Amino acid sequence: MPDRPLIEASGITMRFGGVTALDDVDLTVQRGGITGLIGPNGAGKTTLFNVITGVLEPQKGAVHLDGTDVTAWPAHRRGRAGVSRTFQRLELFTGLTVHDNLLAAWEASVPGAVLGRRRRDGRRVVAEVLSDLDLDSVADRLAGTLPTGLGRLVELARALVVAPRVLLLDEPSSGLDPGETAHFRDVLRRVAGRTDGEPAVLLVEHDVALVMELCDRITVLDFGNVIAVGSPEEVRADQRVIAAYLGESDVA
Amino acid sequence: MSWWPSVVVGLFAGSVYGLAAMGLTLTYMTSGIFNFAYGAVAMFSAFTFWQLRDGWHLTQWVALPVVVLVVGPVLGLVCERLFRPVVALSAEIQIVIALAITAFLQAVVPLIYGSQDRGLTPLFSRSTFSLAHTLYVSWSQLFNFLLTVALGVGVTLLLRRTRLGLATQAVVDNRDLAELNGVNSDSVSGAAWVVSSIFAALVGILLSATQGLDTYTLVLLVFYAFAPAVLGRLVSLPIAFGGGLALGVGQAFLQKYGSSGTLAQLEASLPYLALFAVLLLYGNRLKEVRSSFRTITGAAPTGYRRVALNGALLVAVMIVLPFVTSTSTLRDVSSGMIFAAIALTLVVLTGWAGQISLAQFTFVGIGAFTVGHLGGAHGSGFLWAAVLGVLIAVPLGLLIGVPSLRLSGLFLALATMAFALIFDNMVFPRNSIGGGYTGISVARPRIFGVDFSSERSFYVLAALLLAVYALGASLLRRGPVGRRLQMIRDAPLGASTFGVNLTVTKLAVFAACGAAAAFAGAFYGALRLSVDPNTFSFGASLELLLLVVLGGRSLVAGAMIAGAVSTFQLLPLSASINRYIPMAVAVGAVYLSQYPDGPISVAAERWRHLSAILRPRPWPGAEGPVRPEPAPAPTARGPRPPRAAPRPASADA
Repeated sequence: MPDRPLIEASGITMRFGGVTALDDVDLTVQRGGITGLIGPNGAGKTTLFNVITGVLEPQKGAVHLDGTDVTAWPAHRRGRAGVSRTFQRLELFTGLTVHDNLLAAWEASVPGAVLGRRRRDGRRVVAEVLSDLDLDSVADRLAGTLPTGLGRLVELARALVVAPRVLLLDEPSSGLDPGETAHFRDVLRRVAGRTDGEPAVLLVEHDVALVMELCDRITVLDFGNVIAVGSPEEVRADQRVIAAYLGESDVA
Repeated sequence: MSWWPSVVVGLFAGSVYGLAAMGLTLTYMTSGIFNFAYGAVAMFSAFTFWQLRDGWHLTQWVALPVVVLVVGPVLGLVCERLFRPVVALSAEIQIVIALAITAFLQAVVPLIYGSQDRGLTPLFSRSTFSLAHTLYVSWSQLFNFLLTVALGVGVTLLLRRTRLGLATQAVVDNRDLAELNGVNSDSVSGAAWVVSSIFAALVGILLSATQGLDTYTLVLLVFYAFAPAVLGRLVSLPIAFGGGLALGVGQAFLQKYGSSGTLAQLEASLPYLALFAVLLLYGNRLKEVRSSFRTITGAAPTGYRRVALNGALLVAVMIVLPFVTSTSTLRDVSSGMIFAAIALTLVVLTGWAGQISLAQFTFVGIGAFTVGHLGGAHGSGFLWAAVLGVLIAVPLGLLIGVPSLRLSGLFLALATMAFALIFDNMVFPRNSIGGGYTGISVARPRIFGVDFSSERSFYVLAALLLAVYALGASLLRRGPVGRRLQMIRDAPLGASTFGVNLTVTKLAVFAACGAAAAFAGAFYGALRLSVDPNTFSFGASLELLLLVVLGGRSLVAGAMIAGAVSTFQLLPLSASINRYIPMAVAVGAVYLSQYPDGPISVAAERWRHLSAILRPRPWPGAEGPVRPEPAPAPTARGPRPPRAAPRPASADA
């Protein structure tokens, strides 16, 4: 297997009016691991996320998915190519049941499925993921009626059902209590990179402790610039990271 | 002749639209409600004023303050109370509340004020003076103009210079933050509603003095003010007022240079063309203030077995009906069934795909006029003409879908409204299309040699149409396509992340629903035997939306209820109570905030509660019984979730 990164974003610059949200940012996500992306509020984490998933188009820079230049691809095409994600503010299909949330996502990612082909495959995959994440008991509930903790798990399940190559998680622990966070962490550890190093995971997270615990590589953003890249130990010891975080009052 | 007299005349006329546009902007920016009932408030205030002055012979210097400072504001505050519970709900619910208010006021006015003639002499002297020897201007026009300008300047100063103004700006910027800083945002928006309805009352009085007084014209005329209000992006009062003036000037020029023909039609359509253009131009930058587009659906779809059961029941009723009713009743039932089929296209579009359309009857009209022209004298060409109507409807559906790519909710509703009104003014009235005022006749169909001209045989055809549409919609909802539509309704961002092409999906659903409406429209035309442009006006689209939302916009059964109500309105026995129907509608609309999916969702929920009580069975596991959640689930993106979501007893139960 080539040692090529699954996601390689290079030289990303993103401006909103006069504000530069990202300034020449590089980020790689390696196969088989969990990459962390941290930084204080307003550092540009979610913007970078949206650039990688194709929600936003950067003014400069390129995004490669396993060596293929996907910079010009719209979000839905990247989704079909294996870039899957969860959202900081839940983006569940609130009027569908949990089961149908997964099924709809599967159908959208598989060509021809919306016309009813391969129906059995879809239901089988959905059932597998539901039981894998212990969500069978809520399968028939409407997604809009779920509490946040369950909603985050359902979003993870929905992101997994499309057999993603890369999984991007946007602040999965926000709104969760410690017990739910621990559960989420265990699930994530289990699913990350389990098939030939895929899905590789990119984790944006406020909970620094969780990131240090889970990730094998961390990129730190501050005011749209990368200020550190390295293993959790390296990042923890980095003076600029400490300054950036201690300068801000809300570390968690 | 020089151009400036047109400018003067235009400014005079436009200042009233500017006043209305400012009123619309005020309530939207402070409370997030775009008041579609603004014209109704103006209308009711105008009727009250003329009744006081010309009916009960009060001096106008008493009548004017009473109406402008008491009647209008009270009405405005009542509206505000009715809208407040639906602020966070999707735009079609808010529009239906406004329609209910409008229908209620339109029904109430004749009951209170009767229908005698009123003098309608303007507030100020009608005597004229000349401007530069070429243009005669009446004092009345000049005073009206100065009054509106003074009010515009006054309210702008109020916003810029006073504490109330500062508080208003704070609420506009960020309602929640303003509240944290001790601003009572409810009283701020209350004040805005009062000012706004003072403007509405004046608009009503000024407009009716020149345009005449009836319950429909005023409501329609206030639609003119929508374009300038949107031009100011519903946040800028000066731009709204200026836009109103510009609109008046534009209309004056068209009036001068085009007294007849296309230019004259253009004059009436100008406000709607402007509205459509402005909406497309602003696109993404128009974001709704507080209301989230998320719909709140009552329940997951029932299983296939239930579909079969309901369908069988319905078919049984349909089979029995011809044996027990008269021919004319049968015709009314046929009408209701076709109406239900049309309503189903709106259920798919609005209820499932989340795309509002206020132009669905325009497509019905396209189908009906096509079979009218090409169906042949004995209906032998009916089927082919209907197919042709569908083919015409597809590109128009794509066209009306284009705004949906960048707009949603209220702004999409406004764009489709402009589309419908442009058709009403420029396309359907053409003799070659809608047959002018007399309309055109439509033959009953003759399909594959079978004649459907009798009421009984046509009834069978209508029942067949409804059965196909209802079955199709039911299967669609439970299949991949239905899921795809609900994806783009509930979470467009999430949908696109999972590979849904929003552009293609939205255009396809608009085209398909337009085509389906046009096909049903062919039958609607054949049922009526003759059709004229009025049959398919914007008002008809509004009534459709009203009935579909009240019936339950996300349910097949909701469309059936809409059809049943439309039949009921036709029945002779309801003629005596027809005038009270709007009151019933108003009461129904009040319940929408609690049950946005209509009576069926209420009944379904009650039934689940009841069956849960009757069969108390402990649920296995730690979570307790999976309760049927009440319909109003927290919206995922609502700016104010009603309450913090309860934590699950254990996440992995």
